[in-house]
Amino acid sequence: MQQLDGEHAAPEIAARRTAARRGIRRSLLLFFSIVGPGIITANADNDVGGIQIYSIAGAQFGHTMLWLLIPITIALIVTQEMCARMGAVTGKGLADLIRENFGVKVTAIVLLLFVLADLGNTAAEFAGIAYASPVFQQYLPVLTKYLIVPLVAVFVFTMVTRGNYKVVERVFFAFCVVYLSYVASGIMVHPPWGQILTALVIPHFTPTQAYVLAAIGVIGTTISPWMQFYIQSAVVEKGVTIKDYAYSRVDVITGAIVTDVIAFFIIVACAATIFVHNQHLTPGQHALTVSTAGDVATALQPLAGRYASLLFALGLLNAAIFTASILPLSTAYYVCEAFGFESGVQRRFAEAPVFYALYAGLIAIGGGIVLLASDAVENAIIFYSQVINGVLLPLVLVLMLLLINRPRIMGRYTNNIVFNVVAWATVIVVGVLTVISTAQTVFAGGG
Amino acid sequence: MAAATAFHEGFVSELVGRPAFVQRGGGRELVGKVADFVVGGPDAPFPAIDAVLLKTREGKMLVPLASVASIGDDGTFVLSEPPSTPAPPDDETLYLVEDLFDKQIIDVDGRKVVRINDIEITRAGGALRVVAADIGVSGLLRRLGVGRLAPSIVQRVPRTLIAWDNVAPIADMNPSEIRLSVSQGRLSRLHPSDLADIVEELNRTDAARMVSSLDDEDAADTFEHLDVETQRELIESIGTERAADIIEEMDSDDAADLLSELPQERQEELLAQMDSQTAEDLRELAAYAEGTAGSLMTTEYVWIYPHRTVAATIAKIREIAPETEFIYYLYVTDQTRKLLGTLSLRTLLLSPPDAAIHAIMDPEIVSVTPETSAEDVASTIARYDLLACPVLDAGGSMEGIVTVDDAIDAILPDRLKKQLPRFTRHGSARRSIAV
Repeated sequence: MQQLDGEHAAPEIAARRTAARRGIRRSLLLFFSIVGPGIITANADNDVGGIQIYSIAGAQFGHTMLWLLIPITIALIVTQEMCARMGAVTGKGLADLIRENFGVKVTAIVLLLFVLADLGNTAAEFAGIAYASPVFQQYLPVLTKYLIVPLVAVFVFTMVTRGNYKVVERVFFAFCVVYLSYVASGIMVHPPWGQILTALVIPHFTPTQAYVLAAIGVIGTTISPWMQFYIQSAVVEKGVTIKDYAYSRVDVITGAIVTDVIAFFIIVACAATIFVHNQHLTPGQHALTVSTAGDVATALQPLAGRYASLLFALGLLNAAIFTASILPLSTAYYVCEAFGFESGVQRRFAEAPVFYALYAGLIAIGGGIVLLASDAVENAIIFYSQVINGVLLPLVLVLMLLLINRPRIMGRYTNNIVFNVVAWATVIVVGVLTVISTAQTVFAGGG
Repeated sequence: MAAATAFHEGFVSELVGRPAFVQRGGGRELVGKVADFVVGGPDAPFPAIDAVLLKTREGKMLVPLASVASIGDDGTFVLSEPPSTPAPPDDETLYLVEDLFDKQIIDVDGRKVVRINDIEITRAGGALRVVAADIGVSGLLRRLGVGRLAPSIVQRVPRTLIAWDNVAPIADMNPSEIRLSVSQGRLSRLHPSDLADIVEELNRTDAARMVSSLDDEDAADTFEHLDVETQRELIESIGTERAADIIEEMDSDDAADLLSELPQERQEELLAQMDSQTAEDLRELAAYAEGTAGSLMTTEYVWIYPHRTVAATIAKIREIAPETEFIYYLYVTDQTRKLLGTLSLRTLLLSPPDAAIHAIMDPEIVSVTPETSAEDVASTIARYDLLACPVLDAGGSMEGIVTVDDAIDAILPDRLKKQLPRFTRHGSARRSIAV
């Protein structure tokens, strides 16, 4: 305070009750302020494509693929942890780091593939909505895909551009909770738990081409390129520092485990119903073939009751909306940040034209393909985007490993030897498998 | 540099990869390719290029510009003597390609963070100087090699260049300790609210470095415009002593808000570094609950005894005004700091110099208590058309004042603040969605 006269009033000793209470509350809240990126990212990973692959694996191969979930979870944790750590140490996104360390050309190649792959991925999410709509139509005939898909597109665009971040993050968390509907579906079908636990821990291998392909699909869908970008940006945006990084690591591990628990229940639900049904066909019954997640939702109805089917469809819709919300948006962000275009939903269209064009374009084209294009075109687009994903993933993983081992970037937080061995092994296995699966799909799709 | 078709101006990306020859006898011999440029005195408005880095069969070699006989307009370098100095390690010099290409810088003129796609250099007064950063699409296309394949496309794209004296590199451009003191001078041209916008665009490490490069007063002004979360992150990154210096310079209400968001032990560490009077004031302020007059008020106000004369008061105000933000109202108090009346600067200036303060003050006191809600404070201020409202304890003694701008900030919904035009926006400009 400024006084015009010489005297000083004796300062009063302040009551500090409130401040002390805030301090305690703060340390409790610290964990919850830091968790989020890992759980949200990992859940977004169980997108329509993921659900589809898990359910087909369960329907065709019963419990024989469950054991894969444990190594997959480890691989997921390893890759996500590296990105989270890079985010915490550098405060920069993965696209930024690639641009700053590998230059314009590498960045342009990576991001071009990224946009193409995500266009297909977005279309696949909207296709998931279309798959789920027949189940809802049984309750409300008006809920056709021609109504739901545009509604979702508008909802997604509005929520993200008009809502503020705290609200959006809460909505995302709510989406994560809805994934529990798969757990409910899985329990409602009364699976044989003893057999399942054995199948989970004891590796099983069937040397048929179909089994190998499905196994590769399960691995490939769990670790996707855009998740690496997403988790790193989310950690940066949360302001996590290396000091609080321990919490983030817990978040990443929790997220990966939750994701694969959900995958587990999807496989279990489909194994206990469709797979069992096909194994014990009575004369006159037809074997159920499932090729999409929508087939699964429909097939569950006579086998497990309408509520299990409805829950499954709800989960599918949830996954589609969830991923459609963050995938086009994050794609637009990375491209703009790496190339220096204005970005961010707080800017007007005229201020950030590239950003909005990419964001709205991905949603509109993705949704438009599902509504307007023929099934053949739709499938071709989704198929080629999977191929691009397959090329992109090993590339991104290798760039990540190069970055995280540069002391200039990571200081003393580079990978240690043990971690590097596990990480490179993961990269090589995932890379080789994706290349095989990509090659397989290319030849199968081309034929 | 006597060649008739000498290089006059161009982009670094067009020179990188060009061949370098050395004159030998009547002919010339290829020695390597241009890889990078070393800048001497990076603090200059348009820094001169000191040396060229060549990629040769013997590894990377440094050629001082003095040994460059000519640069053709196609970018071909001719050296007067073969390169003999191996390149120094990257962290000892500032390289254009290695350290500046693809990195973020602050565009002081455009008041935003941008990325360098290319760098324009020009020959001026016998030296090659860095003149501009290319941050636009044409720079990207040139880097991607489109310029060589289809030059007409690149030429058609409008160029986005920032004159180099408007470029403020972020301090970690080069991991070494090359201090780019130029940033500070250029950044202090910016309004604190623009600096705050830039801080929010930067990542944490860069933001901390940028704030550290400002003087305490600029840093404090910038801090006042940041949202609490960013403030907290920065405080954690810039070290206790410096953080305490900056907080001391902040308005006491903003400083107290920030402190109350920190863990108890951190508060104590910071307060211990401050002068005891400021620390006590802040302790008191930090104890008030959020959304009350106590948390909004500042303890920086001007108070005066009733028996002083107008002339003496004006003289004193002139003396203390640079230190004090709010001087438009004077608060007339007795020895126990009990409020007797208020006096506006206007009344003071219009009164005869020998008049006594108690004769011209307004004895009608409009006040609030520390527990009054922010909404009630704002409506009191609005109702009586005040610029500030005194906060009194139960005994009628001054605790502080709430100024009109802080009252508005407290009741304006976050949404509305975000919609305000960029140049008037205060504080919470967080990017509103994470990806």
